[in-house]
Amino acid sequence: MPERVETDGETRYRFLGVEATRREAVALALGVVALFAVPDVTRLSDSLQLGVIHQGLLFGFAAVGLNLLLRHTKLTSFGHAAFFGTGAYATAVLAKYAGLQSVGLLLLGAIAAATVMAALIGALSLRHTGLYFALLTLAFGQLLYAIALGQSALGGSDGMPIRPGPANQPLLLGTTFEPAVYQILTYYLTVAVILVGLFVMYRITQSPFRNALDAIGQERTRARFIGLPVRRYVWAAFVISGVYGGVAGGLYAVVRQYVRPEGTLFFLRSGDILFMAILGGFRTLVGPLIGGVVLIFLQDVGQDVTQYYEFLTGVVLLVLVYGFPRGIVGSFRSGGVVSERLGQLRREPSAVADWARSAVRTTERKAVESLSSLRIILFGVD
Amino acid sequence: MAGTLETALVQTLNGVQFGFILFMIASGLTVILGILDVLNLAHGELFSIGAYAGIGVFGFVIGVVGPPSGVLGGVVFVLAVLVSVLLTAALLLPVGTAFEALFLRAIYDRDQVYQLVLTFALLLILLDVKKFVWGNTSLRTDAVYSAINSIPTSELVGLNYPTYNVFVILVGVAVVAGLFWFFDRTKTGRIVRATAIDREMATAIGVSTDRVFTLVFALGAFLAGFAGAMAVPPTAATLGMGTNPLVLSFVVIVIGGLGSLRGAFVGALLVGVIRSWMITLYPPGEIAAPFAIMALILLVKPEGLFGTWGETA
Repeated sequence: MPERVETDGETRYRFLGVEATRREAVALALGVVALFAVPDVTRLSDSLQLGVIHQGLLFGFAAVGLNLLLRHTKLTSFGHAAFFGTGAYATAVLAKYAGLQSVGLLLLGAIAAATVMAALIGALSLRHTGLYFALLTLAFGQLLYAIALGQSALGGSDGMPIRPGPANQPLLLGTTFEPAVYQILTYYLTVAVILVGLFVMYRITQSPFRNALDAIGQERTRARFIGLPVRRYVWAAFVISGVYGGVAGGLYAVVRQYVRPEGTLFFLRSGDILFMAILGGFRTLVGPLIGGVVLIFLQDVGQDVTQYYEFLTGVVLLVLVYGFPRGIVGSFRSGGVVSERLGQLRREPSAVADWARSAVRTTERKAVESLSSLRIILFGVD
Repeated sequence: MAGTLETALVQTLNGVQFGFILFMIASGLTVILGILDVLNLAHGELFSIGAYAGIGVFGFVIGVVGPPSGVLGGVVFVLAVLVSVLLTAALLLPVGTAFEALFLRAIYDRDQVYQLVLTFALLLILLDVKKFVWGNTSLRTDAVYSAINSIPTSELVGLNYPTYNVFVILVGVAVVAGLFWFFDRTKTGRIVRATAIDREMATAIGVSTDRVFTLVFALGAFLAGFAGAMAVPPTAATLGMGTNPLVLSFVVIVIGGLGSLRGAFVGALLVGVIRSWMITLYPPGEIAAPFAIMALILLVKPEGLFGTWGETA
């Protein structure tokens, strides 16, 4: 049962090693209930599809892994699809060529493959930081994409089914199921994996290891001076984040029963995963997961409405970068843009007029500024 | 025996030709990275816009000039093609300027991840702008390629090698020479380099870094457009054509050293030639070979062959 603790004059609840305020605890409980309720809710409306939300959760889970690097070590990996794809392809290869049938074994295989891959790529690309690191991860990710595209054993651009034959279904609990039942069962498997994964990530963020990573992210040289093994720690964080990607990829392969290079390894997927972390709020733990569901859902809706949905995604990204840099969860949290504004509104409804005035002023100033830079570009300073 | 030698020579020349195209893309990317500290993920899209726009400009200019006939006609035609390429590249100048002045300038002082996300957003937007303007099918222009190939060059020395590729190599040499001249000898080039070495000091002696940044970004866009227009005649313009050059440019930058123009030149030729050799020696290795070199360089000399840029071009 939850146990009450008083820290810094605040009542907090502790349960299974997770400590939270009352508000956070309620949000957490609601979130878990919502996760379990998804298959029932999607039955109510045609616009909600279990498959879409499931896929969003899987990519979001990979983004949770990426976030460990982004949030603490300030390293931006632009090649996280490499681990997602490694997990997915490892699952497919093990099922097709090694004859493994059980989902559990396939996922273990995905984890092993992603660990090895992350260790390798990490060892090479962590020699640099900043943009150089982003560039290297993107390059290695595209290398894997090109390899999957070129090898006929991996199905080339067509991809490969994870188990050949009519059933084409890995065994869950030693048996095969009806497709609809299989979808729901694998969904609950994903939920279980996500809850465990989030819990592990939470424990990591409560550990000294996280403090070390934060120190490294702020100032590497100083971190080295106080005796932190910087290289090894960052490498470990990279491998952990890769494993999250690998697990997500393995589950993706098990759920979709088919892997394609375009859908798992392409660098736009890496961009998506990074985008999810930012969209949800990369300074939070669950933000990337929420970002994943929202992004995949928006892309799915966008694809129905227009063939130019990449454009829409790009515009949403721009709005995010300029307007809501802290993401969805970050903006609603106390101190975020949205929650600040809501609080203001509750205290003083006339604040709306002030905002409108300041918005007009800002637009005016920006217009004048851009006109003058245009003049400078065209005619020079004098 | 002569046959193998000739194949080897032709493959090497192919590699050199591809290397020059790659240099045009990578040089812009590396200079932007070196000075603005921005990794422009949309650079590949600028390249492919150059290719698409180039097809239109080629069609228009060649419609005016007509097919080549005789020696004089040949010279006029080659000049017309050059003018078209320059025009296409000039079209990208305002695009690059707008990119920097409108979008990037606002977020220089923010976390680097936002810059990456921003250029990624612009990549996605440009991807669909291309789809909207030029459609989802691939476009080609065969007139330029076949017309230039009908002018004999390599045949004169008994080699069977397309004249267009010779043209690309010659133009590539000119671009390399021009860039080094610009950064080594001109005042603007030196100002740009001074900004790369020490941004604050440059501001202190009266350099407007804002203008340098815009200039460098516009230059990068210009070079990418130039490369696109030069690369498109033998192949076709497709929506996804920007990705591979972008990633190979990354490889080139890592091999040559961040921001180093000389490094980009050596790296581009190295990647081009080795890739081209692999096609005959061991085809499956074509994709992996540049990355293998990159991994080797990372292990042996992580700062790249020529280190950082600034003191010398």
